[in-house]
Amino acid sequence: MFSFIIRRTFSSIPTILILILISFALMRLAPGSPFSSDRGLPPEVLANLEAKYGLNLPWFEQLYTYLKGIIFSFDFGPSFKYKDRSVNDILAQGFPVTLTYGLWSFFIAVAVGIPLGIAAAVRHNTKLDYLAVGFSIGAQVLPNFVMAPILVIIFTLWLNWLPGGGWNGGEWQYVIMPVIALSTSYMASIARITRSSMLEVLSANFIRTAKAKGLANSSIILNHALKPALLPVISYLGPAFVSMITGSVIIDIYFSTGGMGQFFVDAALNRDYSLLMGVTIVFGVMTILFNTIVDIAYAWLDPKIRL
Amino acid sequence: MLVNKKKLAAMVDSASSQTPIEGRSQWQDAMVRFKQNKAALVSVFVLFAMITIAFIGPLLSQWDYETIDWALTGNAAEMGAPSIANGHFFGTDDLGRDLYARVLQGTQISLMVGIIGTVVAVLVGVLYGAVSGYFGGRIDNVMMRFVDILMSIPYMFILIILFVMFGRSVYILFIGLGLFSWMDMARIVRGQTLSLKQKEFIEAAVASGVSDFTIIVRHIVPNLLGIVVVYTSLMIPNLILLESFISFLGLGIQEPLTSWGALISDGAKTIQYGTLWQLAFPLGFFITGLFCFFFIGDGLRDAFDPKDR
Repeated sequence: MFSFIIRRTFSSIPTILILILISFALMRLAPGSPFSSDRGLPPEVLANLEAKYGLNLPWFEQLYTYLKGIIFSFDFGPSFKYKDRSVNDILAQGFPVTLTYGLWSFFIAVAVGIPLGIAAAVRHNTKLDYLAVGFSIGAQVLPNFVMAPILVIIFTLWLNWLPGGGWNGGEWQYVIMPVIALSTSYMASIARITRSSMLEVLSANFIRTAKAKGLANSSIILNHALKPALLPVISYLGPAFVSMITGSVIIDIYFSTGGMGQFFVDAALNRDYSLLMGVTIVFGVMTILFNTIVDIAYAWLDPKIRL
Repeated sequence: MLVNKKKLAAMVDSASSQTPIEGRSQWQDAMVRFKQNKAALVSVFVLFAMITIAFIGPLLSQWDYETIDWALTGNAAEMGAPSIANGHFFGTDDLGRDLYARVLQGTQISLMVGIIGTVVAVLVGVLYGAVSGYFGGRIDNVMMRFVDILMSIPYMFILIILFVMFGRSVYILFIGLGLFSWMDMARIVRGQTLSLKQKEFIEAAVASGVSDFTIIVRHIVPNLLGIVVVYTSLMIPNLILLESFISFLGLGIQEPLTSWGALISDGAKTIQYGTLWQLAFPLGFFITGLFCFFFIGDGLRDAFDPKDR
């Protein structure tokens, strides 16, 4: 097990490098300079600016400096647009916000989705089951960018209970709507996957044996059925995490939380390439690390995988 | 004995008069099962109606999707509400453009993005997966490792960077979405190919000297079509969701063209002025369309693979 963890962790390093290379290549291939504006700067000024940010060097030297900065000092360089701030400053400002409601959403999606799926499978073809299935079908067409305006209409405009946006240091009133908007569709998917895999496991022979032994229902479900039933759910968590991170961009924009997404879209519209790359790489590394954790958890849970 | 002989003769008679039982192909079986699924069947009709409206509907309106009704500009909240009298069936948007024409135009674009992007993704994914699964061994290892790497990258960010750098045209949207969503298809197809290539008919083809390329195209791919159809139908709504996501951010489709995501985004920005119709109509089309696609996809999956529910 230990050697598997080591091996799996190391095999994620090339992925991270490829991610950095792709973003770097895209930035190099981009037509035009980030400093070219409508007014048109004099060529000498442009040259000076490019020299200041090291853009006049050959590409391999730029890549080397960039990689060295990231690996040894976690430094993503200066922002091209926000003159007085480095990419690191911006990351430090936006990242905690995204992480706060992102982790809450993930936690709630799992903590509600899995029990709901189990309950629906155990009470198969009852009202509870139909309710859960109905919810998971309905939530498929309610992605975060549809949920967000609907929530604002209900809770801000009609009921006037919650503020329609902002962050305010992460006070709970400001966190609720982003978390609901982000987690609903994943909660539904997790519930659906848990339900169908639990149904399959419950009809397996070893469950029948457990029933024949006279085990209590709760003990059958918790001790025998739960572990195999969770395998498909765990392999779904990886992709779910990736798209949750991507979805946070919408949440940041719509609720003006001041998270990473807002900076990302601003950077995209302003052609602030270094900030774009910084955000992409940080999010990418997070997903890759998370996928590694998911793989390790999977290997730990699945009896068929021998290490 | 006599009675028995008569019976026997009668049986032979009736047997010979019956037409031989026709074998049913996998596709006919699937059609029968699909037709029993009411939700899926209704969805097919609704979707067909929606496509018809999207392409014929604009002819019924005196407004087109980019002309601004100057009589209403700046006062959309009070005068832009849906009305038959001034010809704005769905009202107008914030600028005074006819929402009916815009929603239909957005429907066209969203459906097209979903379908064309899926075609690109399916072509790439099926070929990649079939080649990887058919050759196996080291080639398979390398090709699948590459897919693993691609899948663990949050490609949405890369895609947005692509849009920013190479301009925002509809074509980049089609191709970009397709090129970033073939990986799932490749994995599924590879798995199926691995088991298919053990079959006798592939062995027979190899023994009779058919080239690898012909085997893949003529023998492997046609046998994959069932599963490909199922995943294709589930991919279309996902691509529509992706496109709407990007357009919601204002990074996708460009004005005056529009799509469901862009319309929802516009409508969501103005809800505090009480112009609910600007959100309600695009959202209604979006939700109905996605529901239809998901129901059809589920129906197809049950029809082609009754075990897997």
